[in-house]
Amino acid sequence: MAIGLMEAAPNAEQMQEGLSLPSGIKPSRRQFLVSATGGFMLQFCLPGLSRFASAAGVPAPTAINSYIQIGTDSRITVLFGGCELGQGAMSGLAQIAAEELMVEWTQVKSALAPLGPITYITGGSSAIRNNYLPLRQAGAAVRMMLIRAASNHWGVSVNQCYANNGTVIDAPTKRVLTYGALALAASKLAPPAKPTLIPDAALRLIGKPLVRLDMADKTNGRAIYGIDVRLPGMVYAAVRHAPMLGGTLASTPTNRNGVTFVNLGTAVAAVAGDTHSAFSALGEGDDDGGGSGGGGFKWTTPPNAAQIASTVFATQAATIMKQGPVLESEVVGSALAAKSTSTTTIDATYSVPYLAHACLEVLNCTVNLTPTFCEIWAPTQVAGWAQAAAAAITGLPLAAVKVNVTYLGGGLGRKLETDCIVQAVQIAKAIKKPVKLTWPRQEDFQRDKYRPMAVSYLRGSLDSSHNIVAWWNRVVTPSISAQKGFITAGAEDGGAVEGAVTLPYAMVNRLVEFGPHPSPVPIGWWRSVGVSYNAFFVESFIDELAHATSQDPYQYRRRLLVNNPRFLAVLDAAAELGGWNTTLANGHARGIAIAETFGTVVAQVVEISGASATGLRVVSVACAVDLGRAINPDSIEAQMQGGIVHGMGAALWGHITFANAAASVQNFNTYRLVKMSDMPTIKVKILPSTNPPSGAGEPGVPPFAPALANAYFRATGIRARSLPLFPAASHMGD
Amino acid sequence: MVTLTINGVVQEVNVPSNEIPMLWVLRDIVGLTGTKYGCGIEVCGACTILVDGSPRKSCQMSVNEGVGRSITTVEGLSPDGVSHPLQKAWVQLQVPQCGYCQSGMLMSACAHYNSGSNGDGIEIDNLCVCGTYQRVKQAIQLAATL
Repeated sequence: MAIGLMEAAPNAEQMQEGLSLPSGIKPSRRQFLVSATGGFMLQFCLPGLSRFASAAGVPAPTAINSYIQIGTDSRITVLFGGCELGQGAMSGLAQIAAEELMVEWTQVKSALAPLGPITYITGGSSAIRNNYLPLRQAGAAVRMMLIRAASNHWGVSVNQCYANNGTVIDAPTKRVLTYGALALAASKLAPPAKPTLIPDAALRLIGKPLVRLDMADKTNGRAIYGIDVRLPGMVYAAVRHAPMLGGTLASTPTNRNGVTFVNLGTAVAAVAGDTHSAFSALGEGDDDGGGSGGGGFKWTTPPNAAQIASTVFATQAATIMKQGPVLESEVVGSALAAKSTSTTTIDATYSVPYLAHACLEVLNCTVNLTPTFCEIWAPTQVAGWAQAAAAAITGLPLAAVKVNVTYLGGGLGRKLETDCIVQAVQIAKAIKKPVKLTWPRQEDFQRDKYRPMAVSYLRGSLDSSHNIVAWWNRVVTPSISAQKGFITAGAEDGGAVEGAVTLPYAMVNRLVEFGPHPSPVPIGWWRSVGVSYNAFFVESFIDELAHATSQDPYQYRRRLLVNNPRFLAVLDAAAELGGWNTTLANGHARGIAIAETFGTVVAQVVEISGASATGLRVVSVACAVDLGRAINPDSIEAQMQGGIVHGMGAALWGHITFANAAASVQNFNTYRLVKMSDMPTIKVKILPSTNPPSGAGEPGVPPFAPALANAYFRATGIRARSLPLFPAASHMGD
Repeated sequence: MVTLTINGVVQEVNVPSNEIPMLWVLRDIVGLTGTKYGCGIEVCGACTILVDGSPRKSCQMSVNEGVGRSITTVEGLSPDGVSHPLQKAWVQLQVPQCGYCQSGMLMSACAHYNSGSNGDGIEIDNLCVCGTYQRVKQAIQLAATL
């Protein structure tokens, strides 16, 4: 079974006729609870990244994880079972619900659902993509119940009542009842089996650039991230991991200077009265950012430490590339046979390195553990996994573990992992006090679940008219799903070839193969996952084919997209926005690329200047996106801007190498990110669409690297076949 | 015990040592968690505060250095948390994404704002992993007009 983060968005047919309630809303009174503030709540299930949850051995959400609450004071709150990591999901989902509730944006609050168990997973750009229709149905159900309650109260036909601005109006008499006044009566009604959605022509909020609900609190210090949680009587913990992957603590240090040490096996925890004291006890906080040797701890080195090295990984990848084993991920026609009939064959090998997530909020978790209850506060994308992990460690039933999801100071896929949460529960169990665990920045870099390295061989065979008659792509990369035990080691992994298969281009014969790489480096999901590297490989190689046949890379793509109007429209929009056909200033060059990620098609034109062997300046990025119906265009623009910046740092400087089982980076001073002074002007165009919405959080990332590398080739004649472009320039700050 | 003036309030603070960085005094002891830890080595700027009006990374500033000075954190930008022109501009242009860096970003911007800058040509050195820089620039310019 191929497991990636891809999932189908609700299709057009479902949109038209799939008006059955989302699972979890059953026409039963038991589905309604009187809320704490009075009034009622509609409970329902949002799927989130549901197929992914199943793959991980955790049941897909069928249980309640989200709520619409109408207070007797008419306050409306949309409570969402996922998390807010900057993508704007909490607001976007509230916007969708507010549309169907027929209320104004100012009447709505959004919050994270405080009730467990929660199996919802935030990932795969799924918040709007997978929850749009269920949420509209839930909102419509609430509206219809409120209208029904009003018609019952007045003793008139439901057909003469309508909702408006948080009230229900009796049309003939103009009588008005507020939602708050109707809440209790509505809570006694059964929800409609088939809620009636508001017709497209009457949509008021969907598609508007409404101000997100978390903005003010993120400008005054009131937004509480995991790292900000404070409990009465709480102590502060930090960890230092073994300086080599696979290393273990040889002996538990003696407690000293008011600091308690806890042996976590692969790490030591220091527990103190404040974070700085805990960091200091671990040898952190040195002027140089700390080093692996700090703290004076004794570690046991694993026997294979010397083999955990980038040089070894590269040799292994080259061997697999040449000799296999590989698995067929996509076969159309006969790509290998077709080569012999072609007139031109071009090939190239590309590579990308491991990357760190480098969320600005380091990993952290706060735990209050009693003999009968475990309460957790964490910035997590996987509250359900955290709950299960804590139950396993403490021996408590799931129902005795509560996970409070805080704001996330960046997620980027790193907070799909529970490693820090597991440690925090272990520490709480050992010291029997409420405790907050904070990872020093060094640990965040040294123990990331890195974006995997990948090597890709591409061979294109062209006929005399430059049509691609054969396309052969072999991708060698470690499998995230295999390392996490979701699939058998060595099995086919759809996630590894995302962005390399089902390409939009006209290609007569294609063969895409996946060669599982055995690297033991811990890996994980990084914003845009497999597409983050496959789009670089494919879109760079398409550029190579264009150049080899003396064609304009934009026009060449247009030719190859002749049967794909959706991609063609996005490509054309980016080219127009980026002035592809306009004259370039001296020393400037442009590159173009297009990729589909989580159902969203993005094309970018990147313009650079001053390109040399050691650097360049990104002048501008024109980004066109088709993600179906745009819920909040301003949020989408922000996500595209953010994706571009994320892709830019990675393409120019991002890399983690390994030697003697240790990662090369300790802190931001050697992991350069884009700064304000590096910023290009970014322009975003959202193509109008009434198709169901697809992902927004990740699709902005993949096209950047190839568009940049293609521009760099135009400027310098140097084809950058490995990223980053400028590894030697990865220092930042002093 | 040291005496600190934080957001205009003079207070006695019980610190474990006079060398503890101001960042952790603010976060763990005083309880003002708006100032963030990001790198601990004065690179990312998430811990930026104002010391006598000048931006300062608090992760490597000992609490001793703050004695007798005026410390301003993001919580002290405005009494109500929404009325500073930078806060208004930040919300109007929807600058934050995850928001974690924005306290430090705002404090760096505040130093420019207080100096009467109209925002043109300002380059702030703070890191934003979400990539909000374009909007930060626009918001600083907008704030100067509010």
